[in-house]
Amino acid sequence: MIAVAPTELRLIDIPLREVVELVRIDLPMDQMEPLLERGVLPGCQICPVHRSPSGDPIVMVEGTLLAIRREVAKCLCVRRSGSNAA
Amino acid sequence: MANSTAPSCHPDQGGSVALLDENGDAKPLVALVGPPNAGKSTLFNQLTGLRQKVANYPGVTVEKHVGTTILPDHRTLELVDLPGVNGFSARSLDERVTRDVLEGRVEGLRAPDALVLIVDSTRLETQLMLVEPVLELGIPTLLVLNMADELEQRGGAVRDDILAERLGVDVVRTNARLGEGLDEVRHFLVGVADRGPLPPRPCPALSNVPRGTPLPMVDQFAVRRRHIAEIGRAAGFVPPSPSRLTERLDSVFLHRIWGPLIFLVVVVLVFQSIFTWASPAMDAVQGVVAWSGGWLGRLLPDSWIRSLLIDGVWAGVGSVVVFLPQILILFLFLGVLEDSGYMARAAVIADRMMYRVGLQGRAFLPLLSGYACAIPAILAARTVEDERDRLATIFVTPFMTCSARLPVYALLIAAFIPERPILGPFLGTRAATLLGLYALGALIAIATAAVLRRTLLRGKRSSFFMELPPYRIPSGRSILLRLYDRSRIFLRRAGTTILAVAVILWALTQVPQINGAPPSIDDSLLGRLGQTIEPVIRPLGFDWTIGVGLISSLAAREVIVGTLGTLYGVEDPTQGSLQLQEALKSHLDLGAAVGLLVFFAFALQCTSTIAVMRRETAGWKWPILQFSYMLVLAYGFSFLANWLV
Repeated sequence: MIAVAPTELRLIDIPLREVVELVRIDLPMDQMEPLLERGVLPGCQICPVHRSPSGDPIVMVEGTLLAIRREVAKCLCVRRSGSNAA
Repeated sequence: MANSTAPSCHPDQGGSVALLDENGDAKPLVALVGPPNAGKSTLFNQLTGLRQKVANYPGVTVEKHVGTTILPDHRTLELVDLPGVNGFSARSLDERVTRDVLEGRVEGLRAPDALVLIVDSTRLETQLMLVEPVLELGIPTLLVLNMADELEQRGGAVRDDILAERLGVDVVRTNARLGEGLDEVRHFLVGVADRGPLPPRPCPALSNVPRGTPLPMVDQFAVRRRHIAEIGRAAGFVPPSPSRLTERLDSVFLHRIWGPLIFLVVVVLVFQSIFTWASPAMDAVQGVVAWSGGWLGRLLPDSWIRSLLIDGVWAGVGSVVVFLPQILILFLFLGVLEDSGYMARAAVIADRMMYRVGLQGRAFLPLLSGYACAIPAILAARTVEDERDRLATIFVTPFMTCSARLPVYALLIAAFIPERPILGPFLGTRAATLLGLYALGALIAIATAAVLRRTLLRGKRSSFFMELPPYRIPSGRSILLRLYDRSRIFLRRAGTTILAVAVILWALTQVPQINGAPPSIDDSLLGRLGQTIEPVIRPLGFDWTIGVGLISSLAAREVIVGTLGTLYGVEDPTQGSLQLQEALKSHLDLGAAVGLLVFFAFALQCTSTIAVMRRETAGWKWPILQFSYMLVLAYGFSFLANWLV
């Protein structure tokens, strides 16, 4: 298991328009698979482009717009481009 | 690659040679596969036009679209349009059906002899994640790069010759909406026809993840993704810049304030136009029904045949056909909203509320289409991936006020609610009562879903995420074809179920004959049956005629209107709807009328819904539970209404 660093960034913390790299998906397998199929894989670039009226992030991944519940966005570990701290 | 235990692509059982040409030879079958929103159905419609039919796959309610395409040399091919999928993990019904068809495991449908894999070029790399499992089937495949023009307009690029070489398949570019590139697709189909059906062969099982290496799933997807990226690099794939139009529209439609406001306006607009736009067309249909009935009545001598045709068939079937315009307007709106890309945004806006109830945003569309009819709505719930979510959604769908309730509501409200203005000319007591009944249905649906998700269908709140397709101008041809489909399905039901009920009811009012003449309605077999059940419904303030109406409305809710018309007017078949209202007043008081309205709001008076629920949930448990629950609610609240008013 990978230890969770206290300063670890989650997708939910990323401001609009900042491009980040996905590091890990902390979801059970059956919930993770639909994301994997759509190219949401560790190493891919994610950019929040909108917020839904209720505050859930809408992100651009690999040219596809995905609306993600914030409960899911909290489970996506990301890192800012340029930082290689992992 | 194929192992020996794999199922045969050509099972012996189940009429696997269903598709024969005029000489009795099997026609080659081509399946259209691809992710959702890639333009699959548009291409299918372009290739088949009206030569298509919609049915259900055996055992599930996923719609099966099969059509015939005519090649330039007049030979024909069978085409099947599969549901859009992103993978083959068989989480949703759609994925299961797609996998079963491709593996040749669906009864009555041979394994396809060729595949057309359609992808959205603007999202080429992720869409190609499907390519590997599909190619592993070993079936000749054409890769269609749809919307390639859009890719280039937005500054992207790809070399299809290199893509073809690296993947080992033919590649063509299309714009399915405009019909561009269809000749190249037909060229591939000619090749399939030349070759004829493939011989029976074992078919490798489809899987989402590459076989052979027992890597964890994330790594397996990562391996595949790297492979696709490498092919993309070799083929010079340049991703397009983001669509400016989509970005601008989203900043309005998903705006914190404007978003929900526009959403509300759209819902009200759809709702309002179902009533306002439809009424001229409904009047026209009603006019045709009345005119043709009158014409037939004058043509036929006074006999039992005339009585059967006019009092039975015309009254019964005619009362239902009148609602076709409403249903078409609803499906026109749903089609435009869905194909333009707005429906996905509406689902995002509705998602938070649905989340509190315990449902998915994706359940919003099925529930909305429940306003037309619960049956397509229950079919539409197949897009809800989580099984508990799907069950909860289809369980509450029949509470949404379907169009079959409308004639019942309209009749009772006109008879019992006096028209008085509430908000000047904008809202009167009658319209308010109608709106109240719609709201009542929606509220009880939401409350029931919330209870279900905390009791019988307790489970994790599923991780909702949804793909938002770019905004596009809907294809008129696609939408018209869907409306045509819906009309056919609707009219077929009117011509079968409702026709049968009308004939049976009419027959029951005609026996036992006294001296060769039909009995009075009270002495008829129907009357006696009605009087036997009367004690059950007496506490609600209903007499036996209403009881017979309720029983006949099990076939379809609107049948009660025709039934009461027959019962109250058997002596005078020329009566109009005004007399029916007057007759109702002598059978019901205000309390019982409100009770009857509430009864219809809650009860599951629809055998077709019950049948679809049984197929959809693969058993009787859910439909029985649903029927009993809704009946208890209907009886209870109806009793309460009768007692209070």
